[in-house]
Amino acid sequence: MTMLELENIQGYLIRGYAHMLYSRFVYLQISDAKAAKKWLSKSWKEMTSARHIHDKSKIAPTHLNIAFTHDGLAALGLDEENLAAFSREFRQGMVSPHRTRLLGDFDSSSPEKWNWGAPQNESIHLCLMVFGNDKSASDDLGKDKIVCLDYYNKLASEFEANGLKEIFFIDGQTQPDNKEHFGFRDGVSQPIIEGSGRVGDKDDVIKAGEFLFGYKNEFGVYPDTPLIVKEQGDLNLLTPDAGGSGQKDIGKDGTFMVMRQLDQDVNKFWGYLNEKTKNPDGSINVSESLKLGAKFMGRWQSGAPITLFPDSDPGPYSDVNDFGYAKFDKDGLKCPFGSHLRRTNPRDNVDDHGKKESLKLSKQHRIIRRARLYGEIYEGSPTNTTPNGEVGLLFICFNADISRQFEFLQYTWANLPKNKELYNDPDPIIGVKENPDPGEEQNFTVQDEPVSRTIKDLPRVITVKGGAYFFFPSINVLRYLSTI
Amino acid sequence: MQQNSTTILVPVIPDKIQGLIDQLVEIKRNSQEGISKEFDSLSIIHYARWVVIDHGKSWINDEKKRNPKLLFVIDYDGEEGEMLHKVSENSSTILDLVYVFCEGYPPLNTVNTDSRKSFLENHVIKDAAVYIGAPGRSVLQIRKERKLRDFIRKFVDSRTWEDVSPDTVHKKIKEQVLANPDFSYLKEERVSMPQINYFGVVLLGICLLALLPFIIILVLIVHFFYERKDENFTKKRSQLDNDFLTELEVYEDFKNQNQFTQLVDMKEGNVRLLAIKFMFLLSNFLIKFIFTQGKLMGIPTIHFAKWVMFEKNSRVLFFSNFDGSWQQYLGDFIDNSGWGLTGIFSNTKVFPKTNFLITGGAYKEEYFLAWSRNSELVTNFWYTAYPDLSIKNVNNNTKIRVQLMKTLSERQAAKFLKLL
Repeated sequence: MTMLELENIQGYLIRGYAHMLYSRFVYLQISDAKAAKKWLSKSWKEMTSARHIHDKSKIAPTHLNIAFTHDGLAALGLDEENLAAFSREFRQGMVSPHRTRLLGDFDSSSPEKWNWGAPQNESIHLCLMVFGNDKSASDDLGKDKIVCLDYYNKLASEFEANGLKEIFFIDGQTQPDNKEHFGFRDGVSQPIIEGSGRVGDKDDVIKAGEFLFGYKNEFGVYPDTPLIVKEQGDLNLLTPDAGGSGQKDIGKDGTFMVMRQLDQDVNKFWGYLNEKTKNPDGSINVSESLKLGAKFMGRWQSGAPITLFPDSDPGPYSDVNDFGYAKFDKDGLKCPFGSHLRRTNPRDNVDDHGKKESLKLSKQHRIIRRARLYGEIYEGSPTNTTPNGEVGLLFICFNADISRQFEFLQYTWANLPKNKELYNDPDPIIGVKENPDPGEEQNFTVQDEPVSRTIKDLPRVITVKGGAYFFFPSINVLRYLSTI
Repeated sequence: MQQNSTTILVPVIPDKIQGLIDQLVEIKRNSQEGISKEFDSLSIIHYARWVVIDHGKSWINDEKKRNPKLLFVIDYDGEEGEMLHKVSENSSTILDLVYVFCEGYPPLNTVNTDSRKSFLENHVIKDAAVYIGAPGRSVLQIRKERKLRDFIRKFVDSRTWEDVSPDTVHKKIKEQVLANPDFSYLKEERVSMPQINYFGVVLLGICLLALLPFIIILVLIVHFFYERKDENFTKKRSQLDNDFLTELEVYEDFKNQNQFTQLVDMKEGNVRLLAIKFMFLLSNFLIKFIFTQGKLMGIPTIHFAKWVMFEKNSRVLFFSNFDGSWQQYLGDFIDNSGWGLTGIFSNTKVFPKTNFLITGGAYKEEYFLAWSRNSELVTNFWYTAYPDLSIKNVNNNTKIRVQLMKTLSERQAAKFLKLL
């Protein structure tokens, strides 16, 4: 096992910065490449690395990370031939006719309606991720916000001088118990990158090449890393391709970052569940509604897996993650086959493969998720269904192979209704079409005894508002980019 | 009823190639999201496609001058002659529109069913190995069983079954179904799921054991005298031609199913020919004896797939009709049957580096994915009879039907209910 060079990896990949409850994602254009490179030649030192800091009191109160779009690398002056060395998904970006089909971005979610990231929107070159934590307080969103925005203001005051133009920003928040707006604890299960020094269940330990260029992936080969084709800049700052081509590797210790702004319709989500589980007199059956919600999600609102706690939520919150479906729930009687979590990470039970084979397949499609909330902090439930204004999730994930990881999950495991032996069951959280084809059913099947039940006519509860694919370079590569 | 597959290869009149391509584009434009409905009324065709080959790119930069040809691939029920007759009779319009650009097609003012049929028959080429995901299931049977399953599901969802025993549920469903005249055929037409032929498996095992010394010698010869001299494929997906990929993607991922067409060239020499022929022979036996229940070497997403060798065994075609995305399909191949694919394709030119015929190759994931995309062809026309069904659905529907008609114990009934 290779140990990772943590001080060369931007921190957000390895750590979720969960204690930093407030963050600002700033989307910028490079208006003056020369000035931007000059800024980069100093600011690479300021980027938070993944270096492990034992003494918590020494962790800085602010964190900063950076990612570039393909347009951004071009604007910075990366040569066309080098730009062409990046993967096709990253080069094309999130919007193309085929990709829109794969991701299911239609109707209200179609790119023509996006606020950012689509061709009609202002081009985005880079994203600065600014995080803050008031170290004198504990879990205080308001105080973290002040620290975060102070830091942002300091950075923003120099944007213009540094050749950067701010386009817009999204403020991301985290709840101390990490609940999203539907009210479910999020991000419980995360892959552990082999060699990162983190420990956990061995089924969650994934080869570094799934998340970082320059290391072998779950297939035992090096991922398709961008290599320098045409010499430019100070190439001494780059390491040679681990794959042995002799070319310099601009991807090493970096990865791709997927960002999607997903509006959540809390009212529609809980309204639907309430309707499907209501009492004979029409009143809301809270416990049944919660239970169906948990079946949709695969975990209770507390985060407790329904596979291990099939009857009710053990609450108040749970990090239980050591379980398999084959072992505890082969027939889906506890966690239905169609549930969001079971289909997007089927663990030891992919199709009807054996446990070992299933785990191997699951591991080839993992992503590291870093979602942050936007809008009012709101905890949805059967009786709490109407937040003020728009709320949603800024979905962020990291992967080295966008096609085999993020896009595969969204298309093959979430959008396609044919998971397992299912017929008409898209992912109830992220895979439902707003307007199904004529005659097309969209259901959720609850495996049960003596026979399964069909929950019909699923509504789409999320709307995509924007999104982009970013390159999340290593710290050395940031330094290199300042020399091109 | 038995399913069969036919491949027809016809030379295109060289100066009419653009006309043909335009025509196929036009047909596609009039189709539903790339899936033509042209053969629906015949009710015997599962899949069909037209593919223009030897026009434009040669992915290994082959210098050899070739004239464009048109491939027609049909997966269908029953006998070839009967199918070609039906196609020539009922789909004459589309045949004429397409084949008017091909050499030797009867003049449009005299063409008739018989002359169309004999034209097609004269150009049939042999398949090397054919896989069928639901052997024995005709298009009509698949449609009927889909209707049956939908009916049962609707009935099951029409009430609650709390505290009802599984065998009672089974009985109630059966009563409900048989009371409906639409399903009266169930009483007369009894069907069964294809079984694994264990006797055949044992026999095949014995044969392989007996052949083992020869196989080992063949593998060693391949390794020491051939593989070391191979030109290997070392491109990654990021290095593939953008425009070509866009062309491939134009008609992918509309429904739950997709198609894949691939053309590669054989490496020279009789040893390579022997190796690939042996792999095809082995595949045919395995398909016949073991892969009878909807999975090809553990891959549960393939409806119909086949390999064809043509032009004096110098070239290999691969066709597939499958569920899900290209990415899943190829990933499944690597995981489940990397050695099998490698055993076949390592005998074709410019494949990712192999060792001992079946290692390396497909297991070099990045190169293999790039190789596969790079040697893929644009499928100019594609027909699928039931785009809304996965192969798992098709097989599951037959299981439902078979179990429905049996008398079941409580345990068996509980198992039956899981299928719904």
